[in-house]
Amino acid sequence: MGIADTYSDGRRFVVARPFALIVGLLVVLLAVDFVSGLATGRIAVSDVTTLVWDGLMQGLVVGLAGIGLSMTYSILNFANFAHGDYITGGAFSGWAVTYLLAGLGRADVGSLLLIGAGGSVFGGALGIGITATPIAVLGGLIFAGLFTVALALLIDRLVYRSMRDQGGISLLIASVGIAFALRYLIAFVFTTENRGVTDAGGVPGIQGYLIDGYVTVSAHDATLLVVAVGLMLGVHFLLQRTKLGTAMRAMADNEDLARVTGIPTERVVRATWVIGGALTGVAGYMFVLWKGTIGFNDGWLLLLLVFAAVILGGIGSVYGAILGGLVIGLTSSMSVLWIPSDFARAAAFFVMILVLLFRPEGLFEGRSTA
Amino acid sequence: MDAAGSLLAVRDLDAGYGDLRILYDVYLDVADGEYVTIVGPNGAGKSTVMKSVFGLTTYMGGSITFAGTDITGRSPEDIIHEGIGYVPQNDNVFTSLSVAENLAMGAYILEDVPKAALREVYERFPILDERRDQKAGTMSGGQRQMLAMGRALMLEPDLLLLDEPSAGLAPDLVDEMFDKIDEINEAGTAILMVEQNATEALRRCDRGYVFVQGRNRFVDSGQALLDDEEVRREFLGG
Repeated sequence: MGIADTYSDGRRFVVARPFALIVGLLVVLLAVDFVSGLATGRIAVSDVTTLVWDGLMQGLVVGLAGIGLSMTYSILNFANFAHGDYITGGAFSGWAVTYLLAGLGRADVGSLLLIGAGGSVFGGALGIGITATPIAVLGGLIFAGLFTVALALLIDRLVYRSMRDQGGISLLIASVGIAFALRYLIAFVFTTENRGVTDAGGVPGIQGYLIDGYVTVSAHDATLLVVAVGLMLGVHFLLQRTKLGTAMRAMADNEDLARVTGIPTERVVRATWVIGGALTGVAGYMFVLWKGTIGFNDGWLLLLLVFAAVILGGIGSVYGAILGGLVIGLTSSMSVLWIPSDFARAAAFFVMILVLLFRPEGLFEGRSTA
Repeated sequence: MDAAGSLLAVRDLDAGYGDLRILYDVYLDVADGEYVTIVGPNGAGKSTVMKSVFGLTTYMGGSITFAGTDITGRSPEDIIHEGIGYVPQNDNVFTSLSVAENLAMGAYILEDVPKAALREVYERFPILDERRDQKAGTMSGGQRQMLAMGRALMLEPDLLLLDEPSAGLAPDLVDEMFDKIDEINEAGTAILMVEQNATEALRRCDRGYVFVQGRNRFVDSGQALLDDEEVRREFLGG
């Protein structure tokens, strides 16, 4: 190809997709700035590593929470806005159990079950952590999953099931109502105060010197990594290797055909709530363990990022949710290299919008669960 | 033919969708191992008859008996257990699933994938055997149609309902499709088929029903219908 051809191809690209060019230039600019920053020592390698690690952790939480949302979307055909409050519900139920197991005999049961509402008990004082009180954490983690399953099934039975034949919009609006009801029920019982739940100073970690500074990986980071990756692999195995998983994919693909094939669709719906609910509850619990604080708004605030991740990945795709979660987590964490941390969320949404402009169907094509 | 001697007996059936009535006093019989086709102009309710047998329409009156069991008003999930398989006209494969997974879903109601039935499907449709791991969505129209039939055959039904199996197929594939249906029928499965390719369908079947505006119009052997002056003029294009 001659130079003239290259030139005209280039011109056609610029004319046809000026926006792509701007974004491309922006990416190049950031990359150059990043590399020169590293070379001149303005950006510390250890800081970048810490940010990447932090983004990865955040991404795992978002991804894990996103799987449930994506599953219910692909099989029930509606975006469940109450999902964020399922996350919160899982977190509070699990942490109540953790407090109870860790503090039994040292504080009264009521205060423990209310997760120290009103400053009656402090998680730090109870010395809660994965290494100090492993049984309390494990017990809480499992209970968070179980409770959220029960919650998801109950709400499906009471509300969504009778609306199954109605459009996605009616269901979506109903789910917004449920979101508010759940959130303020939680606030009513546990108060609206944000509080620390772990013994942050007492969590062991591994600190390593990397070129120009220290990078720390705490035991809670490691716990999150193991739990999240383990569950993601489990979901992958379930979807690809089991009869139920194949039926779930079949139903996401074509519900009418699933019915005439003899797949018991109501049972698959129930299984979806069970699996999605368990993952969501565990995600909520792990989120709180990792950041060390709990608040009644945690899930609702996380939901925006979860939606961003799920849409970015291709709504309905479980693998898209995981990948989208990592992209969102890494973006919001890395963005502080250039912008104030208050805008980290905005950066994540900006990237989501960009991806959707260039790939409207998301990274993975949605609605397939696989 | 009397109801007692037939595998499927539809009597005085009224059915439709919601408030919309499509079928009026429809009767239809399929004997054990028989090959029956339904032909007629657009809007005659051909597919509706078939969907009604499989429990996919709104029941409004009459009865449907299969192998001596009253299946009137029962759900598809239920009817599939009785030994009826259904291949819809459109969207009849799970596009994001592999060929093997599609076939496995066909046998969902059984504990395990039935090995003998699976082997038989692969022998009948060698193309499916070659492409076990291919996603159904990437296959051609003809291959998808074979996969859809294969999936319905996984439960070794006594009666197979086929809704326009030749629709959308390239002309050279239509013959192959009809040959496959002949083979399935010769192996003992009764066939009830709706077909727009009326001449070819009547040539191949044992008996044919002609429906017009939701009502029975003619019933006879396929050959007799082909020879009938009126049927030829009105429904087969001369």
